[in-house]
Amino acid sequence: MWNYIIRRLIAIPLMLLVLSLVLFLLIWTLPGDAAFTAALSIADTVNLEKLQERFGLDRPWYVQYGDWLGGIFVGDFGDSLTPPHDSVMGSVKERLPKTLEVGLLTIILSAVISVPVGVISAVRRNKPEDYLLRAGTILGISVPNFWTGTLIIIYAFVWFNWNPIQDWVEFTEDPLKNLAIVIFPAAILAYSGAAYTARIMRSAMLEVLYSDHVRTARAKGLRERVVIFRHVFRSALIPVLTVVGLQLGTILGGAIVAEQIFAIPGMGLFALERIVARDYTAVLMITMIFAAMFMFVTLLVDILYTYVDPRIRY
Amino acid sequence: MSDASEAVQRPASETLLEQEYALPPEQRFNPLRWARREPAGALGVVLILIIGIMSGAAPLLNTTDPKSLESFTSDNLVGPSSDYYFGTDRQGRDVWSSVLYGGRISLKIGVVTVLVGTVGGTLLALIAGFVGGPVDFGLSRVADMLFAVPSLLLAMILDVVLVDKLPDLPALPAEELARVLAIAFFFMPGAFRIMRGSVLEQRSGQYVEAATLIGAGQFRIMLRHILPNITGLVIVLTTISLPAAILTEATLSFLLGSDAPSWGAELSGDSRQFFKNAPWLAIFPGAALAITVFGFNMFGDSIRDTLDPRLRGRI
Repeated sequence: MWNYIIRRLIAIPLMLLVLSLVLFLLIWTLPGDAAFTAALSIADTVNLEKLQERFGLDRPWYVQYGDWLGGIFVGDFGDSLTPPHDSVMGSVKERLPKTLEVGLLTIILSAVISVPVGVISAVRRNKPEDYLLRAGTILGISVPNFWTGTLIIIYAFVWFNWNPIQDWVEFTEDPLKNLAIVIFPAAILAYSGAAYTARIMRSAMLEVLYSDHVRTARAKGLRERVVIFRHVFRSALIPVLTVVGLQLGTILGGAIVAEQIFAIPGMGLFALERIVARDYTAVLMITMIFAAMFMFVTLLVDILYTYVDPRIRY
Repeated sequence: MSDASEAVQRPASETLLEQEYALPPEQRFNPLRWARREPAGALGVVLILIIGIMSGAAPLLNTTDPKSLESFTSDNLVGPSSDYYFGTDRQGRDVWSSVLYGGRISLKIGVVTVLVGTVGGTLLALIAGFVGGPVDFGLSRVADMLFAVPSLLLAMILDVVLVDKLPDLPALPAEELARVLAIAFFFMPGAFRIMRGSVLEQRSGQYVEAATLIGAGQFRIMLRHILPNITGLVIVLTTISLPAAILTEATLSFLLGSDAPSWGAELSGDSRQFFKNAPWLAIFPGAALAITVFGFNMFGDSIRDTLDPRLRGRI
């Protein structure tokens, strides 16, 4: 087990290294210097040459890559290509906690909604409550979250004359105000996430419900509650765990949309702004941070498997 | 023995075989029976047809092309009425028209994208499954790596990077082409993973062994034997991915904007400040999008259950 974890922990930086090289090549060779110069020149036509020199854009890509990589090891993520050319690391430090808060709340909400919905839907299969819940989950995966978010803003204003877009307040300053801001992006992301997970939960439960060990459990006279929770639920959690792990990527992607709609100054909005501005140093770093987070969560999910399913050993 | 060799030599007997094994009429695919067995899928088909036909026939349905100059009128921000079914926007443009014309763009990009993504993923999977060795290892690791990047972020980066570089094609301007490629890339790692598993599974099948024994080459086995056997999965994968493709196109248009009046773009940009006084601007394009995605989801689920119920929960 420890052996496995250590091997995976060694693999993560290696994969990140290759990923950074691929992204670097993609961004640096495809748009060519012209795009960078464009990004810089929109910013500043007078000091264009000086800026090009400062960002090393006059040198071959592999020198630039080496520089960038060397910077990472000393915690220097480079400076923005667009003014005010502030350090990317500074922005990340300020913005990442906000996105993590939204993401964490999304995962909690999504789990709290999806598990009971999936279980009830499977246990009461083809009963009215199953149809109702299934209709709800299909809507959840069909309705675009930027539309839900927009409608919430419109109708919160039209009906309650209240604007859910507020200036950011730290949790440590005023927890209630902070939650009132974070709850909306988390709720719209959780709805689509939970809908997806609940569907997987339902089909996983159904698959286990008709298996032999469940029939045996019933035959030996266990109460239905015990059968469902001790025998069916645990086995059904395995595929669900996979989906929840993979969903982190969707949540981080969704954060871009949710933060844009509710004006949360987190990593998602940062990503959108930097991409539109073609600020490639920042874009590269944001992508690497998201990828690293995803890789660690995947490892965590793989470790969790061994607790949910003792048959799995590494 | 002699029968088998004759069958290989003379295509005529292949037709005979086909006739012998053809399904009796009552077992052949019957759309009406399918609709009765899969009412949700049938509802999906109906919704898709309604949206598709209405977008296709947009010029006949009391619309003005949102790209034309006469679409700008002096009736700005008028609510839904008998003149403007879905109201008008700030520049007096009819929302009903932009929703119908927007459908053309959303459907076109959605369909093209999924085809490029799944066909590309399948081809790569065939190559990985057949060449094996370092090629397979390399492609699989690249897929793993791309999985770690949130696909929406990757699609946004690609869209922005590509849009400056691509030429305008006759039916696809550079902006739409960049979007197609970006979203297709969004699907490729997933399609590759699923198809690679299926190719490897088929490859170890006895019929491949038999084909190898009669001396069929690798290329022939790949295209004539394996490809037909994974076509069902490709169809399922394509239909299942369609709603996600349409949704992604809309999300990209929402975030990055678009020159064309696609459903996502109508919810973004400057018009957002008018939504509180003119909610119809947000409601109708979003509803059209949601209904389309809903229809495709219903249809895709039913197609999967019909063609291969074992896939439920996997894709």
